[in-house]
Amino acid sequence: MKITYSWLKEFVDGLEKYTPQDIAYKLTMSGTEIKKLEYIGDKYKNIIIAQIESFVKHPNADKLSICKVNAGTEILNIVCGANNFKAKDIVALALDGAKIGDYTIKKSKIRGEFSEGMMCSEKELGLSQQSEGILILDGDYKPGESFANQVGLDDWVFEIEVTPNRPDCLSVMGIAREVCAATELKLKYPQYRFENEINIDTSFNIEIKDLTLCPRYSAKIFKNVIRCETPLWMKNRLFLCDIRSIDLIVDLTNYVMLEVGQPLHAFDADLLTSNKIIIRPASAKESILAIDGTTRILDEGTIVIADENSPVAIAGIMGGKNTEINEKTKNVFLESANFYGPAIMKTSKKIGLRSEASNRFEKKIDPLLTITAIKRFEELLNKINGQEFEKVIYDSYLVVNRERTVNLRYSKIKQILGIEIENKTVSQILERLGIKNKIEPDYISAQVPSFRFEDLEREIDLVEEIARIYGFENIPTQKLDFKSSQGRYTFNQKTLMKIRQTLEDIGLNEVINYSFIGLKEFKFFKLDEEKSLKDYISILNPLNEDFEILRTCLLQSLVKNLKDNISRKIQDLRIFEISKVFLKDDSNNNNLPVEKTKLAILLSGKINLKSWNCSERMHDFYDMKGILEYLFEKFRLKGKLELSNNEYKFFHPLISADINFENEKIGMIGKIHPQLVDILDIRQDVYYMEIDIDSFIKKSPSQKKFTRIPQFPSISIDLAIVIDDKVTNREVEDEIYKNSGITLVNLRLFDLYKGKQIEEGKKSLAYSLEFRAGDRTLKDLEVEIISKRIIENLNKKFGAMLRQ
Amino acid sequence: MKEKINILKKELGITFEVFTRDQNAVKSSSDLDLLENKYLGKKSLIAQTLKNINDFPQEIKPLVGKTVNEIRRKIEDELKNLRNELNLLEFDKKLREEKFDLTLPGRALLAGSKNILYKVIEEIQEIFIGLGYEIAEGPEVETDYYNFEALNHPPDHPARSLQDTFFIDDRILLRTHTSPVQIRYMEKHKPPVYIIAPGKVYRKDYDVTHTPMFTQIEGLAVDKNINFGNLKWTLETLARSVFGKDRQVRFRPHYFPFTEPSAEVDVSCNICVGKGCRVCSGTGWLEILGAGMVDPNLYKFVNYDQDEINGFAFGMGIERIAMLKYGIDDLRLFFENDIRFLKQF
Repeated sequence: MKITYSWLKEFVDGLEKYTPQDIAYKLTMSGTEIKKLEYIGDKYKNIIIAQIESFVKHPNADKLSICKVNAGTEILNIVCGANNFKAKDIVALALDGAKIGDYTIKKSKIRGEFSEGMMCSEKELGLSQQSEGILILDGDYKPGESFANQVGLDDWVFEIEVTPNRPDCLSVMGIAREVCAATELKLKYPQYRFENEINIDTSFNIEIKDLTLCPRYSAKIFKNVIRCETPLWMKNRLFLCDIRSIDLIVDLTNYVMLEVGQPLHAFDADLLTSNKIIIRPASAKESILAIDGTTRILDEGTIVIADENSPVAIAGIMGGKNTEINEKTKNVFLESANFYGPAIMKTSKKIGLRSEASNRFEKKIDPLLTITAIKRFEELLNKINGQEFEKVIYDSYLVVNRERTVNLRYSKIKQILGIEIENKTVSQILERLGIKNKIEPDYISAQVPSFRFEDLEREIDLVEEIARIYGFENIPTQKLDFKSSQGRYTFNQKTLMKIRQTLEDIGLNEVINYSFIGLKEFKFFKLDEEKSLKDYISILNPLNEDFEILRTCLLQSLVKNLKDNISRKIQDLRIFEISKVFLKDDSNNNNLPVEKTKLAILLSGKINLKSWNCSERMHDFYDMKGILEYLFEKFRLKGKLELSNNEYKFFHPLISADINFENEKIGMIGKIHPQLVDILDIRQDVYYMEIDIDSFIKKSPSQKKFTRIPQFPSISIDLAIVIDDKVTNREVEDEIYKNSGITLVNLRLFDLYKGKQIEEGKKSLAYSLEFRAGDRTLKDLEVEIISKRIIENLNKKFGAMLRQ
Repeated sequence: MKEKINILKKELGITFEVFTRDQNAVKSSSDLDLLENKYLGKKSLIAQTLKNINDFPQEIKPLVGKTVNEIRRKIEDELKNLRNELNLLEFDKKLREEKFDLTLPGRALLAGSKNILYKVIEEIQEIFIGLGYEIAEGPEVETDYYNFEALNHPPDHPARSLQDTFFIDDRILLRTHTSPVQIRYMEKHKPPVYIIAPGKVYRKDYDVTHTPMFTQIEGLAVDKNINFGNLKWTLETLARSVFGKDRQVRFRPHYFPFTEPSAEVDVSCNICVGKGCRVCSGTGWLEILGAGMVDPNLYKFVNYDQDEINGFAFGMGIERIAMLKYGIDDLRLFFENDIRFLKQF
């Protein structure tokens, strides 16, 4: 919300004692945050009021005139392109050095004629989006005076963030009250001329169907309104507060809303088709053509203002087109009502329309304001056009007690804020906030006024008021010492941090992706065809189609990271992400999805760059498997870790596996299907692995145990065999273990060879075997017997031969 | 007899002196061979003397032997040292004939990187662990109850519109803040409570200064005798640990539905040192977090006795902290995962 310094001055006695900066600071530090403070006069430097004396046609240009202009102390020569002026007109004249938009005015020659400045249009002055001709000022202005000063633009604008608990602050009045609370200044209530008029108007019949939806409806009919231009000062004030000037009546409703906080709506009384106004819930499928030109379909939750035939306004949000104020309007029906906030909020959300009015109603404004606003409207109208109106007003309301006494204990202040504040000080603070109070021995009894009825309900609410006006900066800091709890990470948290560190240490970069993806991507990777990944959760109201569902695995995100980086010419990637995935779980009573933490790793491109001492190498499957094995070793997960073929649709059919640990699935590993990668225009192999981190951590030992260092020497032998290419390493290793007994402590494949000297369809595998007994020194003979047995059985089972 | 010995001693003395002089002239191992031959060879005084030891009277023979051998050992030691020295020189010479380029690049190891957001989270965690807090966690998909209702946002509360929410259905949503962890934790634990809770949160907002997902850390302390002064101390400690000892910290009154009184906390801008610049929008202050005393209504939801205890809570956006701490000027960088960005931290 924006308000101006000069406007505020009308409501705060002696505001000029403080600079706008002081006020901004005091408001901010007492809870009304000033987002921005701007001096508007700066924009109008070197622009003055001037009077056209005479003008002649430009000798060299048909459309230009040369004007003699009285600039106060001198007569200036001005070339002008407009033709909407006459002699004696008062104009805004930009002199040398003035800034119009991005353009700085300079004395110059235009088509051979000297011009000492520029007469400005409203658009050039930034006062409207569009304007024809130059601005002609109407009224008593003296040439030579500063333009900004004369038309109300020599002002400061406060941009204010009003918190949702303070609808009373959505007005100049409300902010004025805050200024008075934050300073020692006094509030200046405007003296209305029509103070005591309340006569009930019977010419209109008003019916409120549901008083909870519309606790108060006040209105007044202004007959035969003399219409005129909105005065420039008012236009400019509205402009500075971001409200577009439309015509006098609409401008007045907006002006009063900004000033007192009560939204008003003006109907053309003659366009209402009946003398009866009904405030009721809309019936299903009812519609209304709104002022903005769109037809809105309504439903039962919407409150409408209707005549006997049809709705004429969506209550608290927007008026109807058919009853809008127009050029011909003679009689104005002014509505000043109080609607039920939550209903307005719901409707405004549903139809996607927020207005200054709905924003105020949503937050529950004070119903006492309806009459104040009508009076203020009438007073301003009278001030502008001098017209007097009948002293009648319509008012219908639900009687609600809006008085409340809250007792504030001194001990509570001490307990919450940690300091004692003198009773007198507390009382004064409340007084300045407009809260009448009485000092009692143990507490202060506070009378909450109507305008704070919604947010000052409990003792703690008053403690907050005291704290913010007393000043947070005046509450001393106190060291917090507690012995009751000892800070520590859980094993899970510690391990997770260590995993992250480990991955960083082995040269992986950690990414973080959004938890949502598009359904299109999901299907592209055929995740909908995988039993363990297909049960996704949809977002009911996604941002757009890229954010429709929650991830069930991290695959698409990491592939996207690869693709994005390739488009930035970075092809070599080693990345990981640790994030939650979400899977639908219908067995869960509260219907929350299952959240699992996954570690995903993607490798692609080169692992080694070509260098003087090593050749270039691309990442391959075994780099990924190496990381897997390293993680298990590093975190001391002892047990059977193996890959079992499982054809995931998004993986290469042969290079696709589940990761099993101790016969339990703990993840997946593979090469992304070359065809998918190809469609994505990724011209390189991509390897991917995903591990269920929760299970991984669960299986890693929280307490490591010491084992004695072997006392007896080991015997190592090498074994090279030639074997059918179809036989896997695993099969050979299993066979070796089977024949070795417990003395085989280490088995390592150190060579794999196909090609020359090896028969086609066969391969040579060379293993290094280390034997050791725990209780004695092994004899060579024992090892020889074992190795003979291994070879015999490898031969029997696979036809393997010892390589010569 | 004494005289004979003395003469011998003198001769040997001179021999050793000459040897010392001679050895300085040795330049190569062949020089050394010659030297050895000269002083220890068959024709040398030492060898000759030992050979003709029988020419000496019986009673002084042992003394002669001892004297000669002493000198011989001395010379042998010297020669041995000399030979070592020469060998070393020659070895060194050979080494120097090789070529080695120290300026060739080393064999590459890959340097990885933890994500900057986790770096910041871990830094903040360390501070609070040090103060005696524990780390709590909660689900990212939440019920309306934990995300709003139990945090004092009843169904029609206007503050709900402050946080545009992603819904799964009318009751389940993506948490809009880490605050539900407060309720979940208090439900399961009796006071005293000292926790922080980092995690991802979601809001339906996507522009230059908003991403639909971001990261928060929540803090909660509930105990006997906790007051606003304690909150100020805790957050000043945090701000100065993260941003530097010299930073000013200020508390501005604000509004949050689940704290009362509520505050927003600013640190002084380090770029303009309070004078006002683009980064701090001319205010000299940078907003870093929201905080306040726990609203007593929350205690009703978790069955705490609100007359017995008090507490404070705070929450901050990690991206914001990271941006201010590292001078990152574009929020979107955090989720674009440009490797050139990731590798910087």
